[in-house]
Amino acid sequence: MVGWEVPIGAAIAFAGGAIGTGWAQSRIGAAGAGAIAERPETAGTIIILEAIPETLVILGFVVAAMILLMVE
Amino acid sequence: MDYGYINARMRGMKSRLLSHSTLNDLVTRPDLDSLITDLENTPYRDEIIKAKGQMTGILCIEYALRENFTHTFRKIQNFAKQEEAEQYIVIFLHRWDVQNIKTILRGKNIHVTNEEILSCLVPAGEMDQATLQELLKQPDVRAVIDMLATWRIRYAKCLTEAFPEFFRIKDLAVLECALDRYYYTDAIDSVRVPGYNNQIIRDFIQLEIDVTNIKTVLRMIRDHVGPDDARRYLVGGGKEFDERKLNHMLTLPAIEDVVKYLAATPYRFLADIPESAIRTQRISVIEKQLERFLIKKGVGAFLLEPLSVASVIGYFWAKYNEITNIRIISRCKTADVSPDLLKEELIYV
Repeated sequence: MVGWEVPIGAAIAFAGGAIGTGWAQSRIGAAGAGAIAERPETAGTIIILEAIPETLVILGFVVAAMILLMVE
Repeated sequence: MDYGYINARMRGMKSRLLSHSTLNDLVTRPDLDSLITDLENTPYRDEIIKAKGQMTGILCIEYALRENFTHTFRKIQNFAKQEEAEQYIVIFLHRWDVQNIKTILRGKNIHVTNEEILSCLVPAGEMDQATLQELLKQPDVRAVIDMLATWRIRYAKCLTEAFPEFFRIKDLAVLECALDRYYYTDAIDSVRVPGYNNQIIRDFIQLEIDVTNIKTVLRMIRDHVGPDDARRYLVGGGKEFDERKLNHMLTLPAIEDVVKYLAATPYRFLADIPESAIRTQRISVIEKQLERFLIKKGVGAFLLEPLSVASVIGYFWAKYNEITNIRIISRCKTADVSPDLLKEELIYV
């Protein structure tokens, strides 16, 4: 029987990743916007850098999914 | 928007500053026309093209440099608008207001034409071109100060207070010193609250005060002005030199004694200046070294905390240095100075 703590744990894992990603992307986005404003040719690199923190939310999602699927 | 954005823009703009090799290429140009042609392949292109339509030779370069400088700092001010950084940028830009007022006062004092004065103004501060042109229409020093007071421009108060003394001794240094003193005091007061950004700005302003005071002391000793008279031209609030130390320096008999005294301070690099320059009282050599020191310290701000106002200060000094270098090159080309001698005059950072 799965208790209430399992979905809460999964939610925390996902939320932590999402908040971290949001914070990191906001900072990278601001700096990236500045860099693109001055040197438009850096746009490709900036988009890749902006996407890197996405891994954090994916990791959070995987951990949340593992908690939900594997904890019985 | 935060310091990340401002820092990225500053570094992007810094990457477009002229490199050492480009400066060296400019140095080897045979004349002013080829220098202007070369500048057309740099970020000064738009301003040079605009200036070429109106004037030629060194005037064209000077005009383009002024336009570029003004445009650059207006741009920085615009993208930092309503940000914490704006208040710090404004402190640095106020110096151009002070510089412009000094230029107008000097021009009016020696009755130079308005066109000539206008060509020396850099409207990079809070006072725009229209304000400065209106000031220029005034017939004399008194009228300029009255106009500033009518507009309630901050510098009017110190000028009004110093005017009676200026009227009595007819020395413009009185008004210029009052302006400097007001600018530095106001700048230090606005960053008095503890904080990383405030500390950076405070350190730089105090460093400038020290350099300004050293220059004043050297001039006073060279011109044999007594300590009591000379004291009036010093600015308080420096980092290294308080009133007592400055007063002591003013009592020293010769410039070489001042240089010896400075050996125990961060200004010990002045001891490397050739003895002949000091003995013949060529203060310009010492002033050049002090300027170099200030610029190097300023550009060094790029190495401080990136998410702070430091990158703006670093850029300010780097851009100022670039413009100074191009002006040196253009003037040396007019005077037909050899490339080797010219390179010695430049400040590489």
